[in-house]
Amino acid sequence: MNSVADRPPHPPTSIAPPLRRRSDAPFFLVMGGISSGFILLIVLLLAADILFVSFDDFIAALKKPEIQYAFRLTLLSCTAAALLSVWVATPLGYLLSRFQFPGRMAIDTLVDIPIVLPPLVLGLSLLILFHLPIGGWELESWLRDRVGFPVTYQWPAVVLAQFTVACAFSVRTMRVTFDQIDPRPENVARTLGCTRGQAFLQIVLPQAWRGMIAATTIAWARALGEFGPILVFAGATRMRTEVLSTTVFLELSIGQLNAAVAVSLLMVLMAIVVLLILRLLGTELGS
Amino acid sequence: MNRPLLWMLGSIVVLGLLITTMAGVNLSSQTTSADGQSPIVLYCAASNRAVMEAIRERYQDEYNREIQIQYGPSQTLLSSVDVSGAGDLFLPADDSYLKLAKQKGLIREVLPIADMQVVVAVRRQDADNIQSLDDLLSDSVKLVQASPETAAVGKLVQQTLQQSGQWDDVSGATVAYRATVTEVASDIVVGAADAGFVYDAVLHTYPDLVAVELPELKPAVSRVAVGVIDQSKQPTAALHFARYVSAKDRGLIQYDQQGFRTAGHDVWADVPELSVFAGSMLRPAIEDTIAAFESREGVTVNRVYNGCGILVAQMQAGQHPDAYFACDQEFMNQVHDLFPQPVQVSQNELVILVQKGNPHNIGSLKDLAREGLRVGIGHEKQCAMGWITQNTFREGGVQEEIMPNVTVQTPTGDMLVNQLQTGSLDAAVAYLSNAAGAGEFLDAVQITGIECSTAVQPWAVNKESSHPETASRLFQKICSAESQEIFAAEGFRWRLESDEIR
Repeated sequence: MNSVADRPPHPPTSIAPPLRRRSDAPFFLVMGGISSGFILLIVLLLAADILFVSFDDFIAALKKPEIQYAFRLTLLSCTAAALLSVWVATPLGYLLSRFQFPGRMAIDTLVDIPIVLPPLVLGLSLLILFHLPIGGWELESWLRDRVGFPVTYQWPAVVLAQFTVACAFSVRTMRVTFDQIDPRPENVARTLGCTRGQAFLQIVLPQAWRGMIAATTIAWARALGEFGPILVFAGATRMRTEVLSTTVFLELSIGQLNAAVAVSLLMVLMAIVVLLILRLLGTELGS
Repeated sequence: MNRPLLWMLGSIVVLGLLITTMAGVNLSSQTTSADGQSPIVLYCAASNRAVMEAIRERYQDEYNREIQIQYGPSQTLLSSVDVSGAGDLFLPADDSYLKLAKQKGLIREVLPIADMQVVVAVRRQDADNIQSLDDLLSDSVKLVQASPETAAVGKLVQQTLQQSGQWDDVSGATVAYRATVTEVASDIVVGAADAGFVYDAVLHTYPDLVAVELPELKPAVSRVAVGVIDQSKQPTAALHFARYVSAKDRGLIQYDQQGFRTAGHDVWADVPELSVFAGSMLRPAIEDTIAAFESREGVTVNRVYNGCGILVAQMQAGQHPDAYFACDQEFMNQVHDLFPQPVQVSQNELVILVQKGNPHNIGSLKDLAREGLRVGIGHEKQCAMGWITQNTFREGGVQEEIMPNVTVQTPTGDMLVNQLQTGSLDAAVAYLSNAAGAGEFLDAVQITGIECSTAVQPWAVNKESSHPETASRLFQKICSAESQEIFAAEGFRWRLESDEIR
């Protein structure tokens, strides 16, 4: 029997016939041209920001205590909102993907509401929800006076505003993830004696891991860019509810363009670092 | 346990840590006052941030009381106040939002701070080329402005230019409408536009821009003011900070430095003392209102009630109260140099007061001349009532007949009422308001056909007062609906129109 080494080598697949190479060139030119147009736009946007603000301005902005506070709160609240989103999105996405039940379409539509609503409206709706008197009872008063956990204009409002929008995106991602996972293995597991819960935890969840990382990434990124609902529901109180997106707005509103751009660049850096970490994590777990 | 599940459970721990950290960070940022007072919550237009941060820092140093400031666009803040019903103070970009808030019943007191003039902002290097409204209409100039629907400056420009008939041209030449005045300024800085309408105070933070003042926009002036939220649970503390912000030697220093136009206003005092001179007849009508004002504002009002002639004499002798509420216009006229802008608030009728049941059957002024009748009147020189009484006697042609029966002349109507009650007088000529609390013992006989028997009570703030704004707020309190009810109950008729109240 011939060994593997004795076998004639396969023709290299990367070498295409001359005619095909000529016909592919316009294809890659068009596709690459369109794609690079968008990439170039983003690069130019960042370059414009970098050219607009000097390094000294950037450092000066970073040294401001209120911006440092906003940086910390942004990091913490975005992460909390993203984790909460995945915790909610995983079961909700699974139920929407696997089961037909009365009102499923209505729930599916409701989940998308935060995505389509103007951000300011969402903030206003949250504000109204917490302050709507229902027969003399008010959610905010109850939380503040009875539970000792005020929400409006406090840091929980920041997390809640971010979570409301981010979670909608997470649910969408998780639903697509579960749609793409073949239900057969979990059904087989159930025929072999697994409960539905065991099948979900041991068969579905490991397969959905990449989707969960994607959902976390999307939720975190969406939370970072959240502005309108935070401004309305949590306010922009210095050293209390000010996150980086509201800092940009506040610096702009007093004509501090350099500081606004510096904070924007800081947000870009944060986004790159956190998104890279999440993607690496997803790759590592996937492998 | 599979790895994803482990990570999921681990995320709960991480979430717990995040929440604990956020709560900790938040708590550490709070500066609790030494006496454990609640912080004052101020909703502040983002455009005032630079000024307000400096004022807050100084106030907290001076009084060790935390001020929590929520910044945002004025309309958004107004909606927040409306929905949440929380907070203590509202300081929008201009007072048109305060008027809106007042219409909705969201705001009580309003303290003016500064004025802003609408100007045209251009880049420093373009200043020579853009000098007139015609220059703005040129095709080569990219003009942006704030939307009249969303920004006060846009509304003001539209109103002003509509009045002069130039709005359509300017609107046609506008390449873009922006949501806020700072967006307009930013557009010019980055070169997206050549000119735009902004407030002069806004330009202070844009060193690359200069202001071009147009005569057409001279009437376009906006006011910055702070309002006390109606539902504030600590109005006295809120007013304390609001007074600090609007005091010429405290908050207004910062506003001056930031290019706002400030004028007048109060001198700072932790507990301001206001002195008010008022005719005695007004005491029952204003005393409770003044007491309520003192309690809410945290100020002291030193009131001096007396016959107006005596009060005028005191003022002429050198005592200068912050405000004077006279029994009649005549006495205000005598101190016109101190109080140049009086407003007529109420009026009161002179009547003949007799004992219950009118035992002497007095029906008109002529009856007071009957022999043996003991009549009391106000002192001609010491009070408005006496002066008006003499005029009324003269006008009615009964002065010489009645004066022999006048057994007493007092500086206030209250004394006459007391003497009537004790039976030492048979009749007295006094104001209807003097008899308001003595209906059980006295009857009032109307004096008809003599116009000058009605006294008009004017109010004015001293032009030299150190606390003109506080005095004005006291006046607004006196003009409130509840106060007007008291005036009516005390026999006064209200005269002042609501648009005259300041």
